[in-house]
Amino acid sequence: MDMEPLAQGTPKRRRWVVEKREKKKKKKKKKKKKREQMEDPQANGDHNHNHIPKKLKLSSPSSFISDSEIRQEFAHHQLGIARINNGSFGSCPASIIAAQKQWQLRFLQQPDDFFFNHLQNGILRSRTLITSLINADHVDEVSIVDNATTAAAIVLQHVGWAFAEGRFQKGDAVVMLHCAFQAVKKSIEAYVTRAGGSVIVVQLPFPVHSDQEIIAEFRKGLAMGKAHGRKVRLAIIDHITSMPCVVIPVRELVQICREEGVEQVFVDAAHAIGSVHVDVKEIGADFYVSNLHKWFFCPPSVAFLYCRKSPIALDLHHPVVSHEYGNGLAIESAWIGTRDYSSQLVVPDVLDFVNRFEGGIAGIRKRNHDAVVRMGELLARAWGTHLGSPPEMCPSMAMVGLPSSLRISSDDDALKLRTHLRDHFEVEVPIYYQALKDGEIGGDNWDGRVAGYARISHQVYNTVDDYLKLRDAINQLVKDGVTCNNLP
Amino acid sequence: MEDPQANGDHNHNHIPKKLKLSSPSSFISDSEIRQEFAHHQLGIARINNGSFGSCPASIIAAQKRWQLRFLQQPDDFFFNHLQNGILRSRTLITSLINADHVDEVSIVDNATTAAAIVLQHVGWAFAEGRFQKGDAVVMLHCAFQAVKKSIEAYVTRAGGSVIVVQLPFPIHSDQEIIAEFRKGLAMGKAHGRKVRLAIIDHITSMPCVVIPVRELVQICREEGVEQVFVDAAHAIGSVHVDVKEIGADFYVSNLHKWFFCPPSVAFLYCRKSPIALDLHHPVVSHEYGNGLAIESAWIGTRDYSSQLVVPDVLDFVNRFEGGIAGIRKRNHDAVVRMGELLARAWGTHLGSPPEMCPSMAMVGLPSSLRISSDDDALKLRTHLRDHFEVEVPIYYQALKDGEIGGDNWDGRVAGYARISHQVYNTVDDYLKLRDAINQLVKDGVTCSDLP
Repeated sequence: MDMEPLAQGTPKRRRWVVEKREKKKKKKKKKKKKREQMEDPQANGDHNHNHIPKKLKLSSPSSFISDSEIRQEFAHHQLGIARINNGSFGSCPASIIAAQKQWQLRFLQQPDDFFFNHLQNGILRSRTLITSLINADHVDEVSIVDNATTAAAIVLQHVGWAFAEGRFQKGDAVVMLHCAFQAVKKSIEAYVTRAGGSVIVVQLPFPVHSDQEIIAEFRKGLAMGKAHGRKVRLAIIDHITSMPCVVIPVRELVQICREEGVEQVFVDAAHAIGSVHVDVKEIGADFYVSNLHKWFFCPPSVAFLYCRKSPIALDLHHPVVSHEYGNGLAIESAWIGTRDYSSQLVVPDVLDFVNRFEGGIAGIRKRNHDAVVRMGELLARAWGTHLGSPPEMCPSMAMVGLPSSLRISSDDDALKLRTHLRDHFEVEVPIYYQALKDGEIGGDNWDGRVAGYARISHQVYNTVDDYLKLRDAINQLVKDGVTCNNLP
Repeated sequence: MEDPQANGDHNHNHIPKKLKLSSPSSFISDSEIRQEFAHHQLGIARINNGSFGSCPASIIAAQKRWQLRFLQQPDDFFFNHLQNGILRSRTLITSLINADHVDEVSIVDNATTAAAIVLQHVGWAFAEGRFQKGDAVVMLHCAFQAVKKSIEAYVTRAGGSVIVVQLPFPIHSDQEIIAEFRKGLAMGKAHGRKVRLAIIDHITSMPCVVIPVRELVQICREEGVEQVFVDAAHAIGSVHVDVKEIGADFYVSNLHKWFFCPPSVAFLYCRKSPIALDLHHPVVSHEYGNGLAIESAWIGTRDYSSQLVVPDVLDFVNRFEGGIAGIRKRNHDAVVRMGELLARAWGTHLGSPPEMCPSMAMVGLPSSLRISSDDDALKLRTHLRDHFEVEVPIYYQALKDGEIGGDNWDGRVAGYARISHQVYNTVDDYLKLRDAINQLVKDGVTCSDLP
């Protein structure tokens, strides 16, 4: 190639420019192909742990979903909003919504036929796919319910009966993390405290620096709670805490529970499926629930509740009792009266959807995680703050410290800021208020103290611009000297 | 354009905004009705509105708008729109049923859920010692199976006992029901059992009969029954509902059966009382303790859209002459007419007099079919669906004491078809059933022959 810069406008120069451009393109293509071949963690598409889903994607890059197809799938998301809160309510692609509508239509067309001939098979199909997805032993162990909130009611109502029927004695304890989801806390109040049980609350540190911190704190908290010889009947542990969001070393905590004589362990893994690897046998809990509508692309709402085979599992009941009462939780949950079960029937379609992505759900998880960490670090640098946990303890979400000048000093402040970001900056992100630790001086000592965190999510529809929008919004507020007091 | 409450005034607690002045041309036409139900499977004689209800296309469209709103921006939907939408629906229902106050009206998925709410409360009362072991709950022998199981799950399990009151069928008058109920209740109370709760159907499901529920509630009060729960799953949209007049403590009806809502939505009315304050939704969220209505309005992330289209349904029914009252009357008259047509054609009878039929009727089936069990009834139902494209539930009437069973089939009507009539039905639907049954009789088919 002629390297001499030719005079502008001459045909030779134009040819040279074109040739240079073509060569650059070729080089880029080659590099991309090489990178893709190296990055694909699931080269032959073996995404399910125990058997292979029906559509095996051969590793031709052109058969993966494209960026513009992804945009189409989520074109119903409100334009102009930086939607970085997939964690709260999840998201559902257009093809799955369409699949769901087909099921809804089927019911409307001929509901009796739907009920007698199709519904139960459809639910069983979904349960079967989930069973292999999570490495459960048997489909009988997997029930489909509306959401983690419902699963908590199922497990805790069972505890309530145990107290009422004298299998548990007044004062026997249930363990929970201090940051358990509010619905779970209330469920404990409604079914355990009310029935005479006591509650051991284990504090987890935040910000957190390692799994070891969590393990140590949990062991300590559990031992303290067991002082006075209280019998611990059930521990409820998050796999991924909600606020603040951290991946918990749940396998180790379950192990500690066993060592400390806790009878049953219920893992609230609302966020887990689709954001971290889930192997229920490896985790070893008695009960494990995760929402499929958060990170697994299902429409609202559907969750699975895994109950390891045991005599106790046989005595779990759905609180809404139908004619199926007594036929096992999975069968009970599959009919709780006339309602719309369509969200429970699209799991096969969701597996097809995730398999359009390179690496399937594992690939999605990895890319979401990498992206959210990258974005979190970008924001932390921009604001002069830090992440609330190390990258390896972030799922597809990250807690990013907010500038102390915002003076977030209560849960109300956090909500106000969230509302303000929504209403004035078109950014949707939940804000967490981190209360002072013992010994920390509060009041006017705001210097450098990060009391608030933004919980950013990354799902396949997010782009860098979403996070830049948040960055700029916060920077604007800081620049304008806004504090949470100023907000309406 | 996208705002499902575009001209917004659904926020009232009295008459819906569109009062149709009585010009016939402004009422919905037959062809518009056909369009509204065009999604119903072609070729099926769909005479079972009672089981799963039906939903017109305009309401489905309204529901989809709400579903889209959630998908577009779920946080905004949750923080800014959902609670208002549910309150709007509750307010409209409050005036529809003549309740005193919107606080008395909660929206839940279905009657099955409402039963769990009321019965779990009974379970707690036993567990916490307010009720003593052996205290009783009363139910009708023909109570819906889910309700029976709920009683087992929450009452029997907790140490309560159950009084089962037999109601006669076929039935000839309200007086028969009243007399039987009074007798059954008195018998059950023998041995001085305290009766904590009676569960009475407003319209029994199988066999289907309108119960003189006001009188039965009165009897309960006279007999010292503490609380009365009326399971009125079928009532709203098929009979007149006035909860104050009926006088029960708890009253539930499904809006997706006869009130054109999508699956699924029901209201649970709880008369103001200290006990009502202690009812809880079994699925506990952060709203726990804020009252049943608020608890029920958020039981975790899920699709609440079916609960939000009540204003649109009121608009829909007001496109019909006489609104929902007109629809009720015409459905009732039509189903009685069709029932009598079938009874004449088959040489049988209706299971109850016309005034005890809602928008459904029990029509005796020819004895030659030899329906001799619940299984037979289900087999016949399936056969009608698969071979005659007729959808109708079949009821097996067990022998009464003293009746000779076995081979004595002459003239004994042991099976009934429960036919429904909703605005989308036509005479042809019932003629199809008539001809199907006649064909089976002609071919000498009995239920033993069916697969």
